[in-house]
Amino acid sequence: MAKVNPGGAGPHLAPPIPASTQLLAVAWLRWRIFVNSTFRRRPATARQAVGIAFAIVLRLILWPFLAAMVIGPVAGSGFWAWFVVAHHHPQRLQTLLAGITIGWQFVAINGLSVAATVSNFDPASLIRYPLRFGRYFVLRTLIGFMTPSTIVGCLSSLAAAIGIGVAKPSLAFSALAVLTVYALMNLFLTRMIGAWMERWLANRRFREVFNVLIALFAASLQLLNFQRYAPRVPGAQHSWLLNYLQSSNASLRWLPPGYAANAILHASHAFPSLIPFCGLAASALLFAAVFAVRLRKQFLGEHLSESATPRRAAKRGPRVKMAPQEPPQAIIDQPAPASAQLPKAHAVFPPVVAACLRKEWLIFRGNSAQFVGLVTPLIFVVILNRGQFATHPALFLPAAIAYVMLGALAGLYNAFGAEGLGVQLYLLAPIRMRDVIVAKNISGLTLAVTEAALAWTLVLFLKRAPIPLATQVSTSLWIVVVIMVNVTLGTVRSIQAPHRFVPGQARQRRGTPTNRTSGLLFLLAFVGSAALQVPVIWLCRYLHQPWLAAWIFGPLAAAAIAAYGLLLLNAEKLVLSHRDVLAEELCKV
Amino acid sequence: MTTPAIETVALTRRFGDFTAVQNVDLRVAAGQFFGFLGPNGAGKSTTIKMLTGLLAPTSGNIRILGEDFAAHSAEIKRQIGVVPEGMALFGRLTANEYLRFVGRMYGLDRATTLKRTQELLEFMQLAGEDKKLVADFSHGMQKKLALAAAVIHGPKVLFLDEPFEGVDAVASGTLKAMLQRMIARGATVFLTSHVLEIVERLCTHVAIIHRGQLVAQGSLDELRAGGGRLGPAGPEVAPAGGGPRTLEQIFLQIVGTDREGNPAATAPEQELSWLR
Repeated sequence: MAKVNPGGAGPHLAPPIPASTQLLAVAWLRWRIFVNSTFRRRPATARQAVGIAFAIVLRLILWPFLAAMVIGPVAGSGFWAWFVVAHHHPQRLQTLLAGITIGWQFVAINGLSVAATVSNFDPASLIRYPLRFGRYFVLRTLIGFMTPSTIVGCLSSLAAAIGIGVAKPSLAFSALAVLTVYALMNLFLTRMIGAWMERWLANRRFREVFNVLIALFAASLQLLNFQRYAPRVPGAQHSWLLNYLQSSNASLRWLPPGYAANAILHASHAFPSLIPFCGLAASALLFAAVFAVRLRKQFLGEHLSESATPRRAAKRGPRVKMAPQEPPQAIIDQPAPASAQLPKAHAVFPPVVAACLRKEWLIFRGNSAQFVGLVTPLIFVVILNRGQFATHPALFLPAAIAYVMLGALAGLYNAFGAEGLGVQLYLLAPIRMRDVIVAKNISGLTLAVTEAALAWTLVLFLKRAPIPLATQVSTSLWIVVVIMVNVTLGTVRSIQAPHRFVPGQARQRRGTPTNRTSGLLFLLAFVGSAALQVPVIWLCRYLHQPWLAAWIFGPLAAAAIAAYGLLLLNAEKLVLSHRDVLAEELCKV
Repeated sequence: MTTPAIETVALTRRFGDFTAVQNVDLRVAAGQFFGFLGPNGAGKSTTIKMLTGLLAPTSGNIRILGEDFAAHSAEIKRQIGVVPEGMALFGRLTANEYLRFVGRMYGLDRATTLKRTQELLEFMQLAGEDKKLVADFSHGMQKKLALAAAVIHGPKVLFLDEPFEGVDAVASGTLKAMLQRMIARGATVFLTSHVLEIVERLCTHVAIIHRGQLVAQGSLDELRAGGGRLGPAGPEVAPAGGGPRTLEQIFLQIVGTDREGNPAATAPEQELSWLR
């Protein structure tokens, strides 16, 4: 072969890079990213210090729940494993292992669909380095090992092995060995599902279908009847779920949980133990192979995106038309030419508000996930109707309304989040920010009010007892209170602590402590304003004064509206004093 | 005949029914400073992504330093340096940490990595930014860091996608000198830029891509003489002052035409109603 570079060797002559060098380099990279993300922050300003304080409070509140979510399954697995082996119910061991797998995979898959994937590192970016595919496969398998689903899954498997070992020491070693392979199988299964989901979720249509499926699955969980009546109660039936679990033992035998359970329980007999163990190992290899097929395509430079978009977009032209802008102050007083007359649709609102509303509508129209978000809570209203609420109309109506508005109002707390770099237009254009805020709030409130109206209609349709007029009036006023309190606080937080996000994208940027506390504030504000109903309704019933609620909520609604008006009056000042925050968070590429 | 540093045969990339790059036959000799030009959306970045292994071609072959990329991707990646379109830095690292990571990934030993990291940070005037995370760097600083990462392992071929965008004049001069030095030592630089003056000053050879197809390729002198054309040429653009034609004039003549060869560029004043 001809010489390529003076004194240079061909690429095939370069000595191979030791695997340990590259694997350790990536491990070090992950460690530094973790350390820097955790401890290395910019000096906090007074405002950020408040945000950090809120974040600490939030964590203190959440940690016990998170700890319970880890300790619960782990302790439960250990106890269950001990119980079934010690009390001679070996067939239930495979049910436990199936439970571990279902929980592990469900949490992992759900993590993919949740927008706030808190990772600053895309492992697919490693393909630009001189890695061989084998190393890339190992790295992709190991990266993300410290995710909640993997940690809890592995610890649960370990706890099950310990439980079996305590119940029957002769099975301890085999249980540990088999459950290690079982954990590996689950790890490959997670990676396999994750890699294929990543491919499919790159397609917008699939993403929408997937969101619908997740929403329906979450809704359907409410319909499960977990109750199990005591057999001695005449005519009582087991829940269908338990019946199904008990009847599924036969089919589980031929799946990895069955292989693992049989390999452990027959450990004292070589042949009956070896066959299920081989089945388990084969399952792990199968999942690893399917995972590798997907990774190989990524490694070779696969394009994960809407494949046909560029040409279609070019044919269609830009979908979002430029909204008419208000002319600069210098030419405001000049008579507008005939061609600049606004269309009739803009006559209702001032031009800037109308233009912003049109933009919001165009974005909403193209985001079917929001449609799903609008419909899903209504399913819960139907479910609520099956329970105790149905016979108490004074409770059912407000409870249903509160539930459906929870999701709709959350968006008010980060109104500028989806604008990204576009927020600069608002800051640069000769417009009043008040108009932009009003437009944003109108679009957000339209969603909340539509949701409330749909739920109200549904409640009227489903009602099993008449809903008194006093309840309807007081609920209407209470809705005004909830909406105005949240829109006021939400607008302030949207300006003070914006958080950039890309609608429909699975991997989002991690929020700052300040904007993460917005979630806590929203919950407090919403729960606080919604919880007002409880003492008021209780007071009305205690005093037998059904109209008292209306008298209480009326002034509160007026006060909330006044507070919002005050905010609008000071909107320019507020935005001006926080424009650096808006620009820094939303405009950073 | 020496082996070309970069060679593509019928390189094609389609996204659904959209063809971003079509049948591109590139040939870049070793030691050349090669400019790869084209209007926005012409297919430059897609081509660079394919040449560096970030994007798989739909069809066609790529050979880097005489080796087939598909068969020897790891070995070839070790010999090339890349400043990709989005820079692709890890924002939660410091510049020092990032360069150390890159050095190790390219197989440099610990001592060499540390030595080169320090040298590069000083060369790029980033040595005083130890405490700062890359995410907090300005665009120009990030660009300099991306360039430092691309050369830390002494690559034989360097792919630079808009390397001077956002870099200040002082740093830009230093970078150009560094690239010239690399060329003098036998490396090959493959560069895309919209600043045609820079390309004209640095590059000896140029290729122009337009709507996914290579429309011109050759040395600057060849293009000035009217050679190297692979597609329809537009009307001649006369050089101002009678001197040799500039690269900008050549570029406008070649890409300022539609598919049938008619002039596509129209003076903006003729289109905007409020400027009439």
